Order: sequence, then C-alpha cells, then structure tokens
Amino acid sequence: MYEEVNAKIKVAGVYENNLFWPRKFVWNGKLYEIEQITLTSELRDAGVKKRLYSVLSKGTVYRLLFNRDNETWFLRALWLD
Amino acid sequence: MAGLNFLHIDINSYFATMLQQENPDLRGKPVGVIKDKGRTCIIAASKEAKKLGVKTGCNVKEAKILAPHIILVPAEFDIYLDATKKLKKIFENITPDAEIFSLDEAFIPLKTLKYIYPNPHKLAIKTKLTIKEVLGEWITCNIGIAKNRLLAKIASEIAPKDSIFEINEQNEEEILKTVNFSDVCGVGFKLEARLKELGVEHPYQIRTIPTDLLETKFGLFLAEALIQIGRGEGSYILDRSSAAHMKSVSRTITLFKLCGNETQIKSVLYNLAEEVTYKVRRMDMAGRQVGFFLQGEEKTISAHRTLKQYIRHTNEMVEIIEDLYKNRKRTFRVIKFGVFLSYLKPLKEVPPTLFSEWYKNEKLYKSLDAISQKYGLFTVRSGLLTQVKDIIRPEVTGYLGDKKYQFMEE
Repeated sequence: MYEEVNAKIKVAGVYENNLFWPRKFVWNGKLYEIEQITLTSELRDAGVKKRLYSVLSKGTVYRLLFNRDNETWFLRALWLD
Repeated sequence: MAGLNFLHIDINSYFATMLQQENPDLRGKPVGVIKDKGRTCIIAASKEAKKLGVKTGCNVKEAKILAPHIILVPAEFDIYLDATKKLKKIFENITPDAEIFSLDEAFIPLKTLKYIYPNPHKLAIKTKLTIKEVLGEWITCNIGIAKNRLLAKIASEIAPKDSIFEINEQNEEEILKTVNFSDVCGVGFKLEARLKELGVEHPYQIRTIPTDLLETKFGLFLAEALIQIGRGEGSYILDRSSAAHMKSVSRTITLFKLCGNETQIKSVLYNLAEEVTYKVRRMDMAGRQVGFFLQGEEKTISAHRTLKQYIRHTNEMVEIIEDLYKNRKRTFRVIKFGVFLSYLKPLKEVPPTLFSEWYKNEKLYKSLDAISQKYGLFTVRSGLLTQVKDIIRPEVTGYLGDKKYQFMEE
C-alpha cells in the first residue's frame, strides 16, 4: 500500500529533450539514488500544473511531485509492502 | 483487406496495468484496484487477478477467497487521465479522426488511411509498439479490426490478451453466432436477461425474432439498434462523435459509510454542485435543468427542475437543489449522492438575462475561477464547506463522459 508522506524534498537531476529527469533526492537528510523512473504523469489541479515522477530507489517506489507553478518538490508517497 | 474500416484499441486491465507499470513489485501479481483505502469494492482487477476469477464489482472479501494473495491498491485517477491524454496524442498522430471512446479505448477509422497504411495489421502492430514506448513496457492492449465499430470492438473483446484480431466476411457470421452479449457494447446485463426471455443468447439469433415483437418488447429505438447488432452492422451506441458539446454535467459520489447528518448531506451536495458548475463555466456553458438524487438503505429520493432561464453559478444551482430537497422527505441514511446540470448550451447562444444579480454573480465567479485556475480548485470555498474535512475533488470515470471537458485544456 502507498503511504502518504507529503514532505518537502530536494531533488537533483538532468535536463534532456526538454524534460527534467530526477536522478537523486534528499528526504529527511538522507540521500536516495534513483535507479529507474517507471512512470511520469502530468497532473492538473484546475490550472495548477504538476508533474508526478514515480521512481525506484533500492527496490521501493517513491512518488515525487513537482509543482510546475512554484517549482517545489514533494515526496507525495512511498510504497510499503 | 478490403472492407476493414476500423481499429478498436483496448488497453488490457487499464487501471491495474498502469499501477503495475508504476510499481514493478506489482507486476505478474494479482492486483485489485479499490477506489480508496478502506473501500470494499474491487473497481478493476489485473489480468493475473482476473485469471483467478476476480471480477470488477466483486467485494474485497470475495476477492480474497478467490485470490488470497491479492494486493489491494487505491486507484490513481490523475495517472489514468494523463495516460489517456498520451494515448489520444498517439492516435491523433495516426489520424486526426481518431475517436477516444472511453478512458482506455479508442477507434481509429481507416478509410482515409488506406494509402498510408494499406495493411491494418501492420498499423495495429506499430500502434501496440508506440503505446509501449510512450506508456511503458508493461502496458499491453488488444486491437480489433473490422468493417465497423461494433465488430471491431467485439474483435478486441474476444481476442486473447495482448493480441490483434480481425473480423471479416469469413468469420463474421460464426462470431455473431457464438459471441456472448457481455462482449457486445451497448447490451448490459438487464437487456441481456430480457433477450434471454426471447431465447436470444447470441447476436445472430436476433435475426430470428420478428421485428414487430422486438418493437413491442423493446420500443422502436432499441429494436432498431438490436436488429443492427444482429446483422453485425454499426450501432448508434458506439458513435459518440456527433455531439458538438456536452449536454449535461453530473457528479456522483459514494461515501465510506451511511450518513444521516443533515448538515453533512447538504455539504456533500454543495461540494458536488461546486464541481459541476465549475466545469460548466470552464466550458463557457450554462444549463437549465437541475437535479439531485440520494440513495441509501435500499431507498432513493430524486428530483429535478427545468428552468426557464439558464444558470451556471454554484449559488443558483445549490438554491434549487435545496428547494427540491426540502420538498422530499428523507427517511433513510445516505451513502450515494448525485447532482446534475443539464440542457446545456454554449453561453454565447443563451439569451441575455435582465436580472442584474446574474451579472454580479458572473463577475464574482469569474474572480473565484481565476483563483482556482491559479491555486487549485476549492482554494476559495463556501462557508458550507469549511467544516468539511475531506473535500470531494474532481475525478475521472472509466466511461469518460466528460471528455470534452477533460481534453479542453490540451
């Protein structure tokens, strides 16, 4: 089941083909290397544009949410067995 | 290949497959999609769960008996809608005439493509590969090929998972003689049961029933549609491309538990009306029929009112719902709520009103909508909703009845 987190995070990545691809993120002072981006989704809350990156780090799926309007990153949820 | 006019593309077990794409840990395992944490109804099942007998609509208890290791995951409607928008782009790259039929289905008319793609099977293979490239390696689909939408959809329904199937002159009759109505779009289980009373279990058998008997039993309109299905001809049910604009916007919600609290019931109705009117305003429309229904404890109340004037502001809709509601005596606790605004027309076609109040409202709601556009829906909300812990937010349905709204901002 996914566990809601909704915590601010720091993200580092690369721009490629006009898109940002996260490579690592810091949550609660701990660094997480991203091994795979399994899905990207463009979301909208009325006019607010957000991009959801579903990423794999050490076998766990994390949902990273990027608010494209105010350019902030959140860890929305993570998968717990 | 002559006479093959449509591809029908159907993503396999869409809701579950997208979640398996997102989470490799779920791949190859039985997954049951529920609407939210704590919900007890399976709204979609992965192909692995379906193999074990888990069906859409069964409850979690039944599912756990059939598939003891089933993994329950809440649906992610935002993810599905975005994937559908990506699919729409793929199909519209093939032809601008592509028709999104529901969240996970589309028709591709082939008539104008015969010089670019003379072989529909090659186009189907290419489309399957493009879908994998764009949505992910776990995403599979069925593609049906036939002379019309009805048969193309039947072809994709009866095809094995992740395959391409063609219905042509050689196999059409045999398929109409053997296919079940559950694989025929537009024939729900109630209609299927009524057909069974006439001894009709497969579409081909409709040909044996006299037209006047069909008309007496089902009415002129439905009888004609059934005759078409029996002949394997295109059915009006599958043509959703003609409406120039939406005729109605509705919203329903089923709560976790029964609710008897008057304030809460009114808040939920207000919440739903807010979403409906916001969508109507975003589409630059107005409507003149308002209605609601409440269900629970095997009872229902519903009411609607057709107005002389067009409305599009939340307060107008809520006033009418409240008025309708107070005239109905509710004797039960409610679990399912629904509201609608219909008889919609584009605002530019609506006769201007003489009431100054309407213009004041229009100005107010324009400002509120601008805030919603910038900061999200329900950023500014009515006092009636400030007490509500969990605002009911918009979500997409599998049928994608509001696709004109959902795709308007693309």
